[in-house]
Parts: sequence; C-alpha cells; structure tokens
Amino acid sequence: MRVPTAIAALLLSATAAAAYPVTVRSCDRDVTFDAAPARAIANDVNLTEMMLVLGLRDRMVGYTGISGWKTLDPAMREGVAELPELSARYPSREVLVGAAPDFFFAGWNYGMTVGGEVTPETLAPFGIAVYELTESCIHLGPRDPVSMETMYVDVLNLGRIFGVEDRAQALVAGWRDRVARATAGVEPGAGPRVFVYDSGEETPFTAGAYAMPTALIEAAGGRNVMDDLPKSWATVGWETVVARDPQVIVIVDYGDVTADQKIAFLRGNPALAGIDAVRNGRFVVLPYVEATPGPRNVAAVETLVARFAAAGG
Amino acid sequence: MDGLPLPRRPARARGLALSVRAGLALAAGGVLLGAVLLSVSTGAVPVPLGTVWGVLLNRLWPGAVAVGWPPGHEAIVWQIRFPRALLAALVGAGLGLTGAALQAVTRNPLADPHLLGISSGGALGAIAALLHTGLFLGLLTVPLMAFAGALGATALVLGVARAARATSADRLVLAGVAVSFVLMAAANLLIVLGDPRATHTVVFWMLGGLGLAQWPHLLFPLAVLVPAGLWLLSRAPALDAMGLGDETAASLGLPVARFRLSVFVAGALITGVMVAFSGIIGFVGLMMPHLVRLAVGGGSARVLPGSAFAGAAFLIAADTAARTAMAPEDMPIGIVTGLVGGLFVLWLMARRD
Repeated sequence: MRVPTAIAALLLSATAAAAYPVTVRSCDRDVTFDAAPARAIANDVNLTEMMLVLGLRDRMVGYTGISGWKTLDPAMREGVAELPELSARYPSREVLVGAAPDFFFAGWNYGMTVGGEVTPETLAPFGIAVYELTESCIHLGPRDPVSMETMYVDVLNLGRIFGVEDRAQALVAGWRDRVARATAGVEPGAGPRVFVYDSGEETPFTAGAYAMPTALIEAAGGRNVMDDLPKSWATVGWETVVARDPQVIVIVDYGDVTADQKIAFLRGNPALAGIDAVRNGRFVVLPYVEATPGPRNVAAVETLVARFAAAGG
Repeated sequence: MDGLPLPRRPARARGLALSVRAGLALAAGGVLLGAVLLSVSTGAVPVPLGTVWGVLLNRLWPGAVAVGWPPGHEAIVWQIRFPRALLAALVGAGLGLTGAALQAVTRNPLADPHLLGISSGGALGAIAALLHTGLFLGLLTVPLMAFAGALGATALVLGVARAARATSADRLVLAGVAVSFVLMAAANLLIVLGDPRATHTVVFWMLGGLGLAQWPHLLFPLAVLVPAGLWLLSRAPALDAMGLGDETAASLGLPVARFRLSVFVAGALITGVMVAFSGIIGFVGLMMPHLVRLAVGGGSARVLPGSAFAGAAFLIAADTAARTAMAPEDMPIGIVTGLVGGLFVLWLMARRD
C-alpha cells in the first residue's frame, strides 16, 4: 500500500512541478499560484462540494457558511465530516487568518461582500489567495449571461490551481455527456415558461438573468420568465409573475421554510390561483445545492428535463 | 474671533486647574490604554494572553521576546485587532468631540454628528459603491465614496441654509434634517434597486462596524481628527459663549452665524471621515457629551476632550463586545452601542431620581 502511494505522490509532484506556476482568471483578476494550495477553505455548500468532487478534502483545513443556512444534506455532511466549520455564516478576517489557510474559495455574496471585511485584497497581506465563484462576478460589474459553462469553468480552474487538471477535465467531460444525454430530445427554448421561487411572501425572491437556475432551465429547454431581469437574484412583484403566467414553478429548497410550506403558500394565495403552474400543480423542488453553481447542477438539469417533459412543455 | 474678552482666572486657581486637568488626562489615557489592551486580547480566535503581550513587546522592541507562536496569531493581534482597536478609539473620539461641539453651538441637547445630513450623505455614497459601482477605486472605494457623500451633503446643507437665510441654530438643524431625509430616500432607492442578497452588507454598514480597519487606513481619520479637533478645542471659550445665546455671544464680539457654520464644517469633516471607515455608529456622539457633563460640569474646555476620551474608550469596549457576543461572527457595533449605551443611560437616570 505504502509504495504505490509514494510513487503516486512522486508522480503527482512531478507533474505538479512541471505545471506550476499556473495563472487563472478570477473575476477581474489574474491569480498566479507557484504551487498547489495545501490549506484551503471553501465557503458555502456548493463551493465546498466542487472541492470535494475534485478529491481535495485533504487539502482543506475547514469550511465556512453552511450550517447558518441549513443547506447541508446527509451526503455532504459525510463528505466534510472531518473538517471543522470555522464559521456558521460569513467568516470574519480573524477567523480565516486564525486557521492559517493559503487559499479561500468563495464568491461575492458567497462568503464575501463587496466593500466588506473579507475580500481578495484584504486577505492578500495574510498570504491567502482567493478564487472567486464565476457566477458571482456579476456583483463586480457587467458579465456574460450564465450557462452551464459558468460552473464548468470553476471546476476546471480549481483543477489547474490544485494540479488535478486531468481529474477536473474528466469530471467536466462526464457532466457534458450526462447533460447531452438528458437533453438529447429537447429542442432549445421549446420548453415551458418557468418561474423560480426562492422565498418571500410579500414579494417573491427569484433568479434573474445572471443566476444559475436560469442556466439550468435553459439547458433543460425551458425559459426563465424573469430572464430579462439584468440581475443575479432579485425581488419582483407578484403582478409580474401573474402576467408572465409560468407553466412550471421551481422551488429552491433550503433553510427553515420547507418546500411543502412554500408550495402551500403559492397554492393558497388567491392572486396566484390563475397561474398555469399553480392550476396544474407543476412544482419542481430543487435543493439549494442543486440550484447554485456546483457539481449537482447536472442532476438538476436531468430533473428539469424530466419534469418539463411531464408538463407537456 | 480669537480675542474673546472673557474674564481671566487668578493664576493660582489656573495652576490648580492645570494639575487637576493633567491628572484627569493621565487617568483618561490610562483607561484608554487598558481598553486597547483588553480589546486586542479578546476575539473569535483564542490567542493566549502571553502571545498578545509577546507580539506587542516585539513590535515595540524587536527581539524582546522569543517568538514561540504561530505567524497566524501574530497577524491576528498586530494586523487585525490592533488597528481595529485604534480605529475604534479614533472614531469614538471623533464622534464624541463632534457631538459635544454641535450640542454647544446649536444649544440643542439632541444634536449629534448624524443629525445634520452628514451621515445620510455618507450612507448614500457608500451604498452606491457597495451595491452599484463595484470597487472601482480598490479597497478605498467605499471610504472615498462615503466621504464624498458626506462632504456633498454638508455642502448641500450649507447651500440650503444660505439660500433660506437659515442663520439661526434651529433653522440650520431643520435644514440638516430635511437634507438628511432627501438623501436617505435616495439611499433607500439604491437599496431597492440593488441585489437583495447584498443588502445585508448595507445593513451592516448602516449599523456600523470596524472590520475594515487596516494600519495604512488609520492615517485618514487621524489626519482629519487632529487638526479639526485641536481647532475645536482652541475655540472652547467661544463654544461656551454660544451656550449663552446668540445675542449674548454676539455682544461678546463673536460672529455668531459664521462661527456656527465653521463648527458645523469641522464637525462634518470629522464625521464624514469617521462614517467613511466605520459606517454609521449611533449613540456615541449624542450621549457621550451628556455623560461627560454629568462628571465634569459644563465647560467646553473639559467637555470636549472628556467626550473625546469617553467616546474612544466606550467604542473600544463596545467593539470588543460586538466581536465576542456572537463569535465567530461580528455583530454590528451600532447594536451594541445602542443597547448597552441606552440601557446605561436609563439606569443612570433611574438612579439619580
């Protein structure tokens, strides 16, 4: 057991030595790594999962920002069992520095806030390199609309940063295959009109053009009725939702309010009773981790394709 | 004007007052130092007290103590906690001082640094940067935008006051409050237009926080506080004269309207730079002068420095509480100052009755 591991390690370090330094694009910055990070921290469940599928758990010293929003499912809980959660919500600079990391994988409004205490610039003096979630770059300025590539590019970049590029490429190729197979019979744009319901009773909180669900819905052939909203997540008026008459409602499931409670609210609101999706009871529940950029987006596309087909879209 | 004809005290009494003052200043300095040391010794990451002292001693006399602690702990103590405690001291001092000066010059016990539209302007600038423009000027974008907003609001209040010939204290306050409402409405509009997930950043900013503190940034509040503060202190007799009423002050040779505007501008500069780095921290500027007056009487020569020291010590303590109350997360400091400070004042009032 020992010898092969040593050889593998040697091979790994040999290929790693050949590859470094690597430079990756992170939002508006070029970040250069002279070696693979050895003490990484990831924020939020979807980002942590990207690290885990790349087999990087032993390169991590902890994670942050998961239990505060109750987004961890049992499979993930096992995946991070040995790692400490350093902060239930967004970490402070002190907490991050205290764990002596060399890498922080986070995003804007995924652990970092624009102008906040924890940003790539404020962490740089402590020797902590930051890679930003591509979907979140919209908070720094205009971007291209999201697609499945938005998620793939993060996994590929992480692969380059950590010297596991082969694995990253294999994973992404596999995901492309799965998405292609799932959407084989799907005509782009021919699917149903879809409304994404995250939360909110007075006004609904939904996904706009730059949020991942829009990419998932498009990949599955549908159209997000709010895709003209030039934002990632935003609140809209119920009036607009009624006017656009979605045929399917996607419920983002996390936190204290259960998906059943959200569906019950949508069904019980007389103003929404006329909406096609409500009349026909077409609700699709996506867990938070499937609706935000991460490996489980692929399963989300498969679910959506199946449900869109059932909807007769 | 400078040569205000106020009665001079006999030399002996002045000497006595000087030594009492020196004693008070020494005591205040001691309290302040203690507060800083307490603050750098506490935080979300447990750093042993020995390490804290070791890091500080090594910074004062390099090589004084053998380094036996992880570099992360040194960074936490020296790069995060220490500048933060000093920023708390600067902001607290600035707000306390400004509050005391504004209360004197408006003869309004409810005057505070946030009353005259200065903070609303700062908030507008900061929110525009946080939610809409992005950090186009790097790390200093939010402070710079907030400061620009605060100065813009000040100019607006001065312009309104001039246009409406609002030379009296009441009308100046009224102009400030009106401008404040307009700017707050604009700021709220920006919030509604922004990403809802980012609005908690704004809430955090509006309730104040010192998490942005970094060594190089301390220079800016210091560069404003020292000259503006010294100028206010040098005008203590004039501030006392203002307390007697506009007519009396004018009869003492003080150009009342102009002096009031000068104090307002000095206060706006101080508040603007403080708001830029710490967000809107309430209570300190409003209440510290009252507490200090209870302790040392009403003379501006004592109330101004007293409010500065008390504000500094109070804000350091409040920030320490804010960092530990729900560790590892920071609580917005405005919650602590409002809650602890407000309850303390209520307790004080109940005791005195």
